[in-house]
Amino acid sequence: MNAAGKALAEFVAEGTEILESLGKELLVLDQQRGVEPEPDIINGIFRAAHSLKGLAALFGQERIAKLAHQSEDLLDRLRLGRISLDDQVLDLLIESLDVLQALLGEAAREESSDALNERVKVLGERLANLGSASSAADEDPLDRLELDPQVRSVFTEYEEHRLRENVRRGVALFRIRAAFDLSDFDTGLTDLNVRLKPLGEVVSTLPSSEPGGLSGIAFDLIFGSRVSEAELAAKLQGTPAQLFALAVRPSSASPAPAEPTPEMPAAPLALAPPSAEAPAAKKTTRRKSRAPKTGAGTPTPAEAAAPADPPLVKATSLRAIEPVLPAQPASDTSSLPAVRTLTEEPVTPRGPKAESESARSLTQTVRVDISRLDALMNTVGELLLIKANLQRMAESARVDAGVTLSKMWGQDLSRETRQLERKLDALQEGLLEARMVPVGQVFDRLARLVRRIAREVGKEIDFIIGGGDVELDKLIVEELSDPLMHIIRNAIDHGAESPEARLAAGKPRRARVSLQAEQKGNHVLIKVSDDGAGIDEVGVRELALRKGLITEAQAREMSRRELLNLIFLPGFSTARSVSELSGRGVGLDVVKNNIGNLSGIIDVWSERGMGTAFHITLPVTLAIIRALVVGVSGRTYAVPLNSVLEILSVKPAEIRTVERREVLDLRGTTLPLMRLARVFNHPERPTDRYFVVVAGLAQERLGIAVDELQGQQDIVVKSLGGRLQGVRGISGAADLANRRTVLVLDVGALLEEGMSSERRRA
Amino acid sequence: MPSLSVLLDSFFYRPDEDVGLIQEVVAGTDESLEPVAEEVPEEYLAFQLEGELYAVPIHGVREIVKVPPLTEVPRAAPNLLGVMYLRGEVLPVYDIKVKLRLADNAPLVAGPDATVTPPRGTRIIVVQASDGLAGIWVDAVNEVVRLRPSMLELAPPGVGGGERDCVVGLGRRKQELFILLDLWQALS
Repeated sequence: MNAAGKALAEFVAEGTEILESLGKELLVLDQQRGVEPEPDIINGIFRAAHSLKGLAALFGQERIAKLAHQSEDLLDRLRLGRISLDDQVLDLLIESLDVLQALLGEAAREESSDALNERVKVLGERLANLGSASSAADEDPLDRLELDPQVRSVFTEYEEHRLRENVRRGVALFRIRAAFDLSDFDTGLTDLNVRLKPLGEVVSTLPSSEPGGLSGIAFDLIFGSRVSEAELAAKLQGTPAQLFALAVRPSSASPAPAEPTPEMPAAPLALAPPSAEAPAAKKTTRRKSRAPKTGAGTPTPAEAAAPADPPLVKATSLRAIEPVLPAQPASDTSSLPAVRTLTEEPVTPRGPKAESESARSLTQTVRVDISRLDALMNTVGELLLIKANLQRMAESARVDAGVTLSKMWGQDLSRETRQLERKLDALQEGLLEARMVPVGQVFDRLARLVRRIAREVGKEIDFIIGGGDVELDKLIVEELSDPLMHIIRNAIDHGAESPEARLAAGKPRRARVSLQAEQKGNHVLIKVSDDGAGIDEVGVRELALRKGLITEAQAREMSRRELLNLIFLPGFSTARSVSELSGRGVGLDVVKNNIGNLSGIIDVWSERGMGTAFHITLPVTLAIIRALVVGVSGRTYAVPLNSVLEILSVKPAEIRTVERREVLDLRGTTLPLMRLARVFNHPERPTDRYFVVVAGLAQERLGIAVDELQGQQDIVVKSLGGRLQGVRGISGAADLANRRTVLVLDVGALLEEGMSSERRRA
Repeated sequence: MPSLSVLLDSFFYRPDEDVGLIQEVVAGTDESLEPVAEEVPEEYLAFQLEGELYAVPIHGVREIVKVPPLTEVPRAAPNLLGVMYLRGEVLPVYDIKVKLRLADNAPLVAGPDATVTPPRGTRIIVVQASDGLAGIWVDAVNEVVRLRPSMLELAPPGVGGGERDCVVGLGRRKQELFILLDLWQALS
């Protein structure tokens, strides 16, 4: 890669990362619609826009720099309270993010389209003109605060704004005076800030007018507290801080705001109805213990700083990310926005990812914790030691041929080999770990797309995300985004009914679409479910019959589950026939294929009127898999063990035929059989016994007859490359020991082949 | 004031000591004695197929390897001999003799039923194709030849076994004749 290309890749990677964090924070704002936003979040977004502007300018990306600058302008006004965060502003910010994303995509491809230029221009104008002025107060609340005018005069505009906000909301304000020794005042001050952070907002830190001892320095912190004075005092035990309450005169124009109560501590949530407590609190039980430390805007030390009061910390961090749910879902929902994204777990800012039009990441990079790399480095160091040992032994064997076969030497050798094996295992594990990224990266991007889709089709959707911290191989996560998008789009498009229809059916007005990930041993289960209309299996049956995918006789014998699974058949659906059907399944065969390529399994469950759920089971990693090595006509193939259900030993006489198709009787059920040698056109060898590998993918089962079993082995699957992609039934190749390259069977493709030939013959 | 090194450079540097030209003359002697100005020779890899000499531009060739054990791929195109493992990558190995009408069938060289064991000189030329690496089975690799544009000519009609697009021309060096191939066409 040349220097320019390298610089561009760097810019795209870094820009993607910034946009990702921007997206996360906007998502938090989106979740908190109607609630006063945390100043920290607004500041975070402002900083992200600012750094993007600087970055883009540095790399000469004028368009991005300009739009980032305009967004930053708007955010600055927002930050200073000159405009308030209403839906319009938020939507515009989210749109800017989308446009910035598109711009970055074009920058990565080194293009510049006129359509986008136009969009940037229009957006820029809207950004500049937007902003309803903040509700102008009749009097400046700051005047009510008993504060030395001298102190007041040194506040920055932002600090003044924050102070005014706090006074307006009736938050108890304190002046905290702390004196520190000159030698270590910086650490002392940081420590104090860390302690204060979870308890409220540090509005300003000023050098105190009073000297702090002989060799000391004193500070005045203006602090808006969410907790009572007594509690605050208790929390500050052991620090040099002294507490002085700042009195606020009651407002002359309006009734005095309520005294801050410890029961309703979270300042930004002062507008939330108390009824929010119940449903929100119920959710906590499902959250993992790490939840509090990753709460939006709440730094990790929060836990350490307030160990005595876990319920409070939990509650605050919970509300920071949970939107306020109305106690009665059916009542008064009209004022809610069209889409809400709910997380069961906090949105965590990590990962260098972003959304392009297809929710795929623009960059190929993985962010790795440096400690993981350090561990790998250590392992490599130890491997080098072992190599040196082996070299020494080889040398001694060469020089002194007599010693070669001595018992000592042999023991040494086997010890070193064992060491080598152990270290290689560690290396492998470490590398696999380094490739892992949380699925939340994709989930967050999907959440933004869900907003857009729901807008387009005019549905009211609650999008619920869970299990975002479950980790998968980066490759799988990337490949997953499109199939998931597909399924979610279907759920919104076809699954969710209109609000009126839902009310008529006795359901809550807002449809729920949920996306959940869950770790299950070596697999990850991803569930996409909705509480919509469900799939009409009769309609599915009719359509399948009309399209000639199944025969009348077959249809009669099919169970409901089998009928539902017809939606995965290629050729089952086109967009039009599906919308006629009120069913779903736009290109679900593609989805199934994509999942199959990841060695995954997809299953569908649906109840009419209740909703639909897709279950996707995926291996945690693709790079190294355990495989069953089998032999056919002298050739060797590998079968991924995760799709092998069991192995049977079968005599040729036990193979029966049903309508000229070979089947086996497996504990009373009929198992279609496929002879691998026949399918692959290898010369068949006479044998008195076959081994049948029973493979299962999703709901389908197939017996694959082979000549011999050669054992299990960990293999690294390599793609056969573009030129051989067309070979059906082979998913890749792997190197066994002794320079033997074997092909890896694509069980999904073979299953499909088995099934389709069954249908053809039937 | 000019720095000392500049002064020294102008003192020591003599253009007539520049040996670049001489080297080029020396290198060019074995190919052509008629010095044609402005002609940059290009390097070609020469190899044998069924006794004939072929050549491809060397910049498209990544490496040349001895024949490793090949694994046959069922249901693949007939010109695919098998796949091989090369330092962690799997790449297909192709026969181009059939395409060039030098043979009727691709030899069966992979798998347990292989009928052909590669002779000692057999090599696989690894080239970078648009969709990944690919290997080409050749009977022997001869040398790297430098051919000037004036030494190239269009292929006479009828050469290339009817597949005119594979053969892009002929290269002539004294008495030797090289058939210049477009490998990517030959692979398609």
